[in-house]
Amino acid sequence: MNRHLCVWLFRHPSLNGYLQCHIQLHSHQFRQIHLDTRLQVFRQNRNCILHLLSKNWSRRYCHQDTKMLWKHKALQKYMENLSKEYQTLEQCLQHIPVNEENRRSLNRRHAELAPLAAIYQEIQETEQAIEELESMCKSRQSLALWPRLECSSVIIAHFNLELLDSSNPPTSASQVAGTTGLNKQDEKQLQELALEERQTIDQKINMLYNELFQSLVPKEKYDKNDVILEVTAGRTTGGDICQQFTREIFDMYQNYSCYKHWQFELLNYTPADYGGLHHAAARISGDGVYKHLKYEGGIHRVQRIPEVGLSSRMQRIHTGTMSVIVLPQPDEVDVKLDPKDLRIDTFRAKGAGGQHVNKTDSAVRLVHIPTGLVVECQQERSQIKNKEIAFRVLRARLYQQIIEKDKRQQQSARKLQVGTRAQSERIRTYNFTQDRVSDHRIAYEVRDIKEFLCGGKGLDQLIQRLLQSADEEAIAELLDEHLKSAK
Amino acid sequence: MELWGRMLWALLSGPGRRGSTRGWAFSSWQPQPPLAGLSSAIELVSHWTGVFEKRGIPEARESSEYIVAHVLGAKTFQSLRPALWTQPLTSQQLQCIRELSSRRLQRMPVQYILGEWDFQGLSLRMVPPVFIPRPETEELVEWVLEEVAQRSHAVGSPGSPLILEVGCGSGAISLSLLSQLPQERLRGSSWMREDRAAPSPLWFTDSNAYHIYLARLWPRRKGCWSRVIAVDKREAAISLTHENAQRLRLQDRIWIIHLDMTSERSWTHLPWGPMDLIVSNPPYVFHQDMEQLAPEIRSYEDPAALDGGEEGMDIITHILALAPRLLKDSGSIFLEVDPRHPELVSSWLQSRPDLYLNLVAVRRDFCGRPRFLHIRRSGP
Repeated sequence: MNRHLCVWLFRHPSLNGYLQCHIQLHSHQFRQIHLDTRLQVFRQNRNCILHLLSKNWSRRYCHQDTKMLWKHKALQKYMENLSKEYQTLEQCLQHIPVNEENRRSLNRRHAELAPLAAIYQEIQETEQAIEELESMCKSRQSLALWPRLECSSVIIAHFNLELLDSSNPPTSASQVAGTTGLNKQDEKQLQELALEERQTIDQKINMLYNELFQSLVPKEKYDKNDVILEVTAGRTTGGDICQQFTREIFDMYQNYSCYKHWQFELLNYTPADYGGLHHAAARISGDGVYKHLKYEGGIHRVQRIPEVGLSSRMQRIHTGTMSVIVLPQPDEVDVKLDPKDLRIDTFRAKGAGGQHVNKTDSAVRLVHIPTGLVVECQQERSQIKNKEIAFRVLRARLYQQIIEKDKRQQQSARKLQVGTRAQSERIRTYNFTQDRVSDHRIAYEVRDIKEFLCGGKGLDQLIQRLLQSADEEAIAELLDEHLKSAK
Repeated sequence: MELWGRMLWALLSGPGRRGSTRGWAFSSWQPQPPLAGLSSAIELVSHWTGVFEKRGIPEARESSEYIVAHVLGAKTFQSLRPALWTQPLTSQQLQCIRELSSRRLQRMPVQYILGEWDFQGLSLRMVPPVFIPRPETEELVEWVLEEVAQRSHAVGSPGSPLILEVGCGSGAISLSLLSQLPQERLRGSSWMREDRAAPSPLWFTDSNAYHIYLARLWPRRKGCWSRVIAVDKREAAISLTHENAQRLRLQDRIWIIHLDMTSERSWTHLPWGPMDLIVSNPPYVFHQDMEQLAPEIRSYEDPAALDGGEEGMDIITHILALAPRLLKDSGSIFLEVDPRHPELVSSWLQSRPDLYLNLVAVRRDFCGRPRFLHIRRSGP
């Protein structure tokens, strides 16, 4: 069982992060080399598969960190429990009569567990296939202990050979082949067959583990939503480094949404003097926008020697900050707005209004009385359009409040968290003098700041890494909870 | 002052003329010194705001912002591409801004200066003296759309009502209704070919002529999509509505007719069937209030689009009186009125039981003033 765990841990790419510190030098060849090239190595060296694997397995097992093992044992246990629950549910729903309410909730749970149970089943079957393959090899264990054996033990197994006398080990493939009546050509063919089979099984199990991890990660409620992105320059004692930086970051996000083929609609843009940006807001709509941008919220810090603007006079390193807020955009039904709670301020003409007055001031201010939120808009010439935009922004802000309330209740200890805690923490530092961007949550560094600020591949890669870390943390948390509840 | 206003209006009332320069001869406008060096958008706005304020022009900042934004190709200053705010302007752009601002100094409304304005998100051409749509009227359109949606929901089929607009002006109400009402399309390309062959009718002053014309064309259009008939007594309004309809590619769904509602003759033979809805923003200013209107309105907009007679009720009562001939049973009339009118209209309707009209609802505008009336016909 443990051997299987090792293989499983080793194979899954997303766990490489955990295993990096634990994999020893001699097994590097496994990690870095792609399956195909490994096959080449096999073919070249004509080593016994089992021989190689078993040697490394035992060593790796010894060096495994017990904590990691425990964590992944926990995953195994979790999956076992889930599949047991699924089976009992199935029996329960079929045989035991239950009342309507319970039935509905049981049905729901059943539907939830169905895909997980299916994947787990498949994994079991595939692991069994591997086991069979290896047990066939294992029965020829004596062969495995001979380091210079060059023929594949699978061939032997395939032909149901007798266990050779250990006192008289064969020293070459041809010797073995000779005793069994095989010629070199058949040998090679069978070797290749065996390796191919092993390869397909490996690929299949990789895929299954990927699927399992994807289904286990809890889906965020708001991932598919559009967002409103707001940037605000921080405050410094002097100079306008924050405002310049805010403009660069806003441009970066605009380019990024172009790169991802999203729509970028400017809602508000308030420039500062000398070309900087005080605060701005934009609506970004497309596929999975919130999923990608949710970890961008927080304080971004900049360190540079300014070239333009007020601060450029003294050639010293300045530090500035700016904050990014990402609000998922709700659908109409998500946020209920009672007209009684709203006060709409527009230009009020004295007297009768209407035909008596010709005014061009179409600015609208929306005040939500219970929460005190104020939204202003004068993007459009048409007053009713300004009102629509203001409503949209107000809905998004209220929605954000609802989400923050949810998050606070969850009390997650995750490092990558979206919510109030992240808002006041520095998440990223952009150091122009050293030409690097570092994200503090995952200790990830990117070089070439200029390319990064173009909002293309560099930013995308960082975001992918963030999402990956978040998934891993989510699963770890899931397992922790499960263990706690099991106790 | 009034004479000057009338002369100005007469000069400007040619069709399609966008605020001519002839007005300068009558004003005491002084040439502004050229701005030294290159100026950015922000600096220009500050400069002209100062100039307008000194001359007592209302909405000084908004006016200069709209003018500068327009010259730079944006609708509002806020929506201008941020890079353009600090970029220096070309001399051509500066000259353009100077010209437009000089018109503002003569109290020309910003909408006429720019030659366009937005209504319900649609961009419409504005030409003096055709009446400039007010923001309150946007809410009238919203109400009508709500009613149509409700009604079609109740009936169970998508609504394609026949709508009449009295006093279309620039076509704001008609075109915004058309652009937001659902349309049903007939399947098959033969219908499309037919449609292209038919010339879009404009206006006819000879009632016989258009009577026959419409009778010929109408059957082809039956069961297609929401249709609006827009009527106005000013030729300038008719041509402006047509221009806007073409700009928005709605010219095939709107019938624009040059017709004076108040003359008896027009309604003796009607070529079209009874309407589902009548919508109007009729002139409703009390006659004695006309003098107190701002110079922007008095000197540039058509007084006939504003003056509603002694109590502002003349056109309103005309429309209501025509209801039996124009409106289907349980059809509706939606009007924008002066805040003093709901009571006056209510008592007037009570004095005319022969019309079988009821004041069903009064809606307030965004300033809280009673502004819109919903009157329904019920009876023979």
